[in-house]
Amino acid sequence: MQRQIEPGPATARPLRAASSRYWFQRNRRRLGDIGTVVLLLLVLFPFVWLVQMSFRPNRDILGYDLLFTPTLAHYRALWTGAFPASFLNSLITSLASTVLAMVIGVPAAYALSRSGFKSTRRIALWILATRMAPPIAFTIPFFLAYRHLGLSDTLLGLIIVYLTFNLALVIWMMQPFFDGVPRELEEAAWIDGCGVWEAFCRVTLPLSAPGLAATAVICFILSWNDFFYALVLTRTNASTAPVAIVNFIQYTGWEWGRIAAAGTLVMLPVVVFSILVRNYLVRGLAAGGVKE
Amino acid sequence: MITIAPAIYLVLTSLTPLNLTLPDTAWDFSAPAGNYLDLAEDPRFTRSVWIQVKLSVATVFLQLLVGLGVALLLNGSSRIREMARSGFLIPMVLPPIVVGILWRVMYAVDISPFHRFMAFVGLPVPSLITDPNWALTAIVIAETWEWFPFTMLMVLAALQMIPASPLEAARIDGANDWQIFRFVMFPYIQSTLVVAAIFRLIDSIKAFPLIFVLTDGGPGDVTEVTNYYAYRQAFTFSLWGYGSAIATLMVAGVFVLSYLIDRLTGVAHAEAD
Repeated sequence: MQRQIEPGPATARPLRAASSRYWFQRNRRRLGDIGTVVLLLLVLFPFVWLVQMSFRPNRDILGYDLLFTPTLAHYRALWTGAFPASFLNSLITSLASTVLAMVIGVPAAYALSRSGFKSTRRIALWILATRMAPPIAFTIPFFLAYRHLGLSDTLLGLIIVYLTFNLALVIWMMQPFFDGVPRELEEAAWIDGCGVWEAFCRVTLPLSAPGLAATAVICFILSWNDFFYALVLTRTNASTAPVAIVNFIQYTGWEWGRIAAAGTLVMLPVVVFSILVRNYLVRGLAAGGVKE
Repeated sequence: MITIAPAIYLVLTSLTPLNLTLPDTAWDFSAPAGNYLDLAEDPRFTRSVWIQVKLSVATVFLQLLVGLGVALLLNGSSRIREMARSGFLIPMVLPPIVVGILWRVMYAVDISPFHRFMAFVGLPVPSLITDPNWALTAIVIAETWEWFPFTMLMVLAALQMIPASPLEAARIDGANDWQIFRFVMFPYIQSTLVVAAIFRLIDSIKAFPLIFVLTDGGPGDVTEVTNYYAYRQAFTFSLWGYGSAIATLMVAGVFVLSYLIDRLTGVAHAEAD
């Protein structure tokens, strides 16, 4: 986008103010770039600070020396504690709920897309409900029910909760991708002797691969990031990584180095993944935006 | 079904004085409105609603402002700005608990670079999160930091849909930057801003991890929003019936709110057409 206005060559005797304005006009792009970088550094400062804290040796944890010998001591301390187990719990629940939601949700979204039946509104309503209602409204009934069903503090219980939310999201996100795959391609596959299922697997799915990947990643991120459900529905056996951090804050106090290391580990997968699927994030996080 | 069942269970529970330490209270419907009557006279509940309103209004407003500003800055087409978009995204995708820890570090007087710097230049600032007058502001800052990328992303997407010709026409006609923004760009992104505001408003009602890590509702109860109050009643004091009643009211509130928004924006759209 061209946004500069070139000053006319024969501007008569530019006033001081005017000439400085032209200077701004001419260097607008560069100024914008510099502003962007400065702002980015400012915004990401707390984030970077936490990461560097996790490598700082304990005696220097409050230190300011930019040059310090990085240490993995905090990470090693985490490794020997209860943290790896809860990290694993986080992985299991997030992966399981994502895979299950995809396995159930993707064919459902396909069926909805091809049925021509206008049920989008109802789906949108369902998603809206799971998204808008405050989590506390779900946790109280889930907690009470799980006590009777013996599901509290189990991985299965947590997976079920995440599945509820991810399923709605998968259907919401995948349907437009399937709408975008031309029917003619599938019909061609049928004529060539594929069954409906085979045509779906061999033609439609590969064509919507980017959508599948993005949806799965967003489901994973949302389950991975969850804190509230995990806090309420687990205690020790099934506690996930975010809850584990809070637990050892409560037991050992604010041991900054270890907390920083744990925080860094927990956010690592999310940061990597989200940059990969940046372009789909809006739709995923704004799921339920009927007006979009 | 899986969404409706918990809702029904929640409403039923809210009609009982359920307390898990007293087994008899489970299905006791003798005083169905008891919890709600108590709520009406509970000053802590009323206060929590008021705190919620302050938190929501402030964070949504600031997020829109910052998000819009950053989006306008990033709307250029240089490589640096393209790359910066991913960077600005980070706060939004971090696990909320980590955001809480980040800001806990920033607000801890003995460790925060900000506080240490202020002390170094001779202007020591007391910790925001332990000061009753500033604790809510501290939450607002952290919450805005976490969620401005959402508005930013939505506005950026909308900005890129603006056709180039009206912009050029305005520039040729001699419009300055502000006029271009106000009269050419703004009408295109207006509805996006409304949608972003609605999402953030509804989400702000769920604020939990930040408050949990930063202030735990305190000092006193100055940052105890309704959501947090319900959590405390149910999970700390084991007053499930009472907690459910608050949660039911919250759900009702969210629905009324979205209905109103739907009506209002519907009217706005009709007028714009």
